[in-house]
Amino acid sequence: MTIPSGNIEELAARLRSATETGKAIAPIRDELADGGVPAAYAVQQANTDYYLAHGRRLSGRKIGLTSKAVQKQLGVDSPDFGMLFADMEVPDGEEIALSRLMQPKVEGEITLVLGHDLTHEQLTLTDVMSAVAYALPSIEIVGSRIENWNIRLLDTVADNASSGLYVLGGRPVKLEEVDWRLCGMVMERRGEQVSFGAGAACLGNPLNAALWLARTMVDVGAPLKAGDAIMTGALGPMVAVEPGDVMEVRINGLGSVRAVFGR
Amino acid sequence: MAAKKPVNKKKPAAKAAAKRVVNINVIAKSLDDAAREAKAIAQISGAVELTLDQAYQVQKQMIALRLKRGERRVGIKMGFTSRAKIVQMGISDMIWGRLTTGMIVEEGGPIDFSRYVHPRVEPEIAFLLKRPLFGLVTPMQAMEAVEAIAPALEIIDSRYDNFKFSLADVVADNASSSGFVTGPWVKPDIDFSNLGLVLNFDGKPVQIGSTAAIMGHPVRSLVAAARFAAEAGEPLQTGWIIMAGGATAAEALSPNQHVEMEMEKMGRVSFSTRG
Repeated sequence: MTIPSGNIEELAARLRSATETGKAIAPIRDELADGGVPAAYAVQQANTDYYLAHGRRLSGRKIGLTSKAVQKQLGVDSPDFGMLFADMEVPDGEEIALSRLMQPKVEGEITLVLGHDLTHEQLTLTDVMSAVAYALPSIEIVGSRIENWNIRLLDTVADNASSGLYVLGGRPVKLEEVDWRLCGMVMERRGEQVSFGAGAACLGNPLNAALWLARTMVDVGAPLKAGDAIMTGALGPMVAVEPGDVMEVRINGLGSVRAVFGR
Repeated sequence: MAAKKPVNKKKPAAKAAAKRVVNINVIAKSLDDAAREAKAIAQISGAVELTLDQAYQVQKQMIALRLKRGERRVGIKMGFTSRAKIVQMGISDMIWGRLTTGMIVEEGGPIDFSRYVHPRVEPEIAFLLKRPLFGLVTPMQAMEAVEAIAPALEIIDSRYDNFKFSLADVVADNASSSGFVTGPWVKPDIDFSNLGLVLNFDGKPVQIGSTAAIMGHPVRSLVAAARFAAEAGEPLQTGWIIMAGGATAAEALSPNQHVEMEMEKMGRVSFSTRG
């Protein structure tokens, strides 16, 4: 089953309007139900096309739903992806105006930056490893255009995988310097530990998530390219933020990164 | 905190003393029996009101019964040191318990499930001391007393019905301590403040976390242990093991299960349960 392209465009416009006005909308999953996941991605793609046509630059991708707990919560067994645009990037430690955010939450994760394209079919883990130029500690500031984060899979996929802004650490690290499965992650808010995890929390290893994304991008005809940043997925539970919060994430072997929120 | 009940101002000391004398030994024996017979008992706090001091006296008395049977002291364990634990238990005070030889589980070895009431396991980090340590010490002073660190698993097993208890109840019950396993001992010259860890049941991850969950840095737990031990008049001794506290929420064990924890840079530690 499919749903008419006019409906896709209408839903995409509704999400854009929520972003522009800062007013969250009701869930849209019922309107996407007939078209399923492909329709939800079609809505996401419609907005990507719109934004690219209006001058935004693609800087990479984010992978979502990478933890078993979150997958169980949403009743899915696969991750999802969203687009990262250059204007979503925030420098480490620079104050973020709350007006740029919608229902923000933060996650500590590892970002991989590609040195080579990943364009061919049947990609393998070693293809991904060979293509990674360096890794960075990062904080993803997720957000939702859907009221009260009342999301199911179709809502979040259509809503660009609930992406918001992102902060990258400033010290690039080579692949071999990190224990990808066991690296510890801790997030602190003013010295209080609020989230913990390890590499294994992200599909068993963040490189597994990157491989899933690379294959998926080839399948949909938009392969990952040299220079793309890949936010691989949360290493621990996401945390809601309040005005004035300063969140620091440390990942063993990768260093630290801070997200600073205005009042 | 609960509102204080009005007290009889004429003879409070005598009343309190009478309560203490009567209860401490009886409670200690009932907890020791519960542990030996693997039979849960009702919460103490349902029947009498124990102060935290009295709860620690019960614990000391209960351990004395173990020592009388030939067990030896080998260290202490810290409890309620992680945020996950605090949330799980709904309380906020750090506590401690005493470790004896009877609680040692051989690395890789089996435990007899029927010897426990409703056991749970949690991933920890353990310190081994090369010299005594007590009182108010700095993290640096504490580390100077450390011979080695190891990934470790603690088997906790409340002797109370349904694993439900007040702060005083759990302190009296030796902070639910029941067994502990230590993995390979490593020189403490690595940064162990944020080591990732995975707890696996039969090879599948059930908890993923970091040593940072232990008070932000496990050495803070050792510092607290030195202070608690000195206050109790039982300084930490050379050769003692200090279990720093759970790094994740505890996971309930089942019979015939292989339990393993891997810790970044440290290696792995395991045991099995026999039904």
